[in-house]
Amino acid sequence: MRTFIVWTAGCLVVPLMTTLAMANGWNMPVGVTDVSREVHSLHMTIFWICVVIGVIVFGAMFYSLFRFRHSKGAKAAHFHEHPLVEVIWTAIPLLILIGMAVPATATLKKMYDPSDADLDVMITGQQWRWHYEYLGEDVAFTSNLGTPRETIRGKGERGEHYLLEVDEPLVLPVDRKVRFLMTSDDVIHSWWVPDLAVKQDTIPGFVNENWVRINEPGVYRGQCAELCGINHGFMPIVLQALEEEEFDAWLAERKEAAAQEASGVDREWSLDELMARGEQSYNAVCASCHQPDGSGNPPAFPALAGNQALMEERERHIETVVNGVSGAAMPAFRNTLSPVEVAAVITYERNAWGNETGDVVQPSEIAERLEE
Amino acid sequence: MWSVVKSVLAAFFGVQKDAQRREDFEEGHPVAFIAVGILMGLVFVAVVAFIAVSAAR
Ligand code: HEC
Ligand SMILES: [Cu+2]
Repeated sequence: MRTFIVWTAGCLVVPLMTTLAMANGWNMPVGVTDVSREVHSLHMTIFWICVVIGVIVFGAMFYSLFRFRHSKGAKAAHFHEHPLVEVIWTAIPLLILIGMAVPATATLKKMYDPSDADLDVMITGQQWRWHYEYLGEDVAFTSNLGTPRETIRGKGERGEHYLLEVDEPLVLPVDRKVRFLMTSDDVIHSWWVPDLAVKQDTIPGFVNENWVRINEPGVYRGQCAELCGINHGFMPIVLQALEEEEFDAWLAERKEAAAQEASGVDREWSLDELMARGEQSYNAVCASCHQPDGSGNPPAFPALAGNQALMEERERHIETVVNGVSGAAMPAFRNTLSPVEVAAVITYERNAWGNETGDVVQPSEIAERLEE
Repeated sequence: MWSVVKSVLAAFFGVQKDAQRREDFEEGHPVAFIAVGILMGLVFVAVVAFIAVSAAR
């Protein structure tokens, strides 16, 4: 009777704990694509296989430990080999492994087939942000952590998702096959969105492919999943899936805005306009290293506020921002910021925080330099 | 020769009778086992590759 109770209790604990874990959201999400659903069901199938094996193996072990204990006078059996038993305990795991490999391979085949995509998006990892480019659509933007540093450090109200919020989310349509081309500008990152069952390394010099077809509109969050430096934890991913018409409208709007931005290069900008624009870009892109007040973090990250040497060298200032400093952590911004943004951010740095050079760097000047 | 193949198959699977193992060690020639082992390793790879390629169709 006692043994019976122990066994029943033992058999109940595992499913109970599993149910608890799933109810708490500790389990892998089912996700919002057919592939993610398949991955989830594979995960559950294999999980239950492991549970059954675990219960049998540990059950047999603990039962034997208890039943044949030394104090009850158990004597060890001495025999050397038993080919039949050995064959059975080799063949069963082999069959289980094959049984798991067959459906897993079928799913992998689907995951690795990015052909016939309706939309191509280039995803580029950068320390420490993501850059998205809608290939063939002239739309590209950088997606930065949206929460200001001070808020993260505890000044002011933090939202529920304060570390998972970006300034500009990746926007994708539902019901269309979207192919991702994934690479990196600096170190290895990994683009990971659990609801899509996509976790793909982005590697400098390589282009990895992946794809999704999202079934439900919504906001899906993710993070960089490859340790990539000091702000690895501060380059989240937000993906907004829109209905097809909404997406088309969004894309048209962005194209329009991109055309506007391009035409911004041709006109003269006033100091105030550039300052306003520059402050925005500076806080989004530069402040993580040079600090919002330009004080930097010397010696690793030089101060820009009160940097006399720099203020006297306008040319070197432009050159540094456009092409970066090779061998140092200062990235090149020629491909990640538009000429307007580069001009604005330099103008801002040369006139903010008591740097009163009065210099104006026009977008046209940057555009010319980029054409060289 | 057949007994060498059988012993190599047993090694692939990971289970061998003790009596057969003794016999192999007393009578067999190491070169025969190594040669047949390498050859059957290649055959195994070819079979797996064939299954993979036909499954990928
Ligand atoms: C990943 C961190 C990082 C980011 C982001 C970053 N910088 Fe830098 N920056 C550096 C480092 C490190 C240096 C020093 C490079 C060196 O060794 O000369 C530097 C140097 C500079 C310098 C030259 C300072 C001097 O005294 O020589 C300027 C100007 C500058 N950065 C501007 C910017 C601007 C503008 C942005 C945003 C568009 C930006 N930086 C974003 C890390 C960063
Ligand atoms: Cu990263």
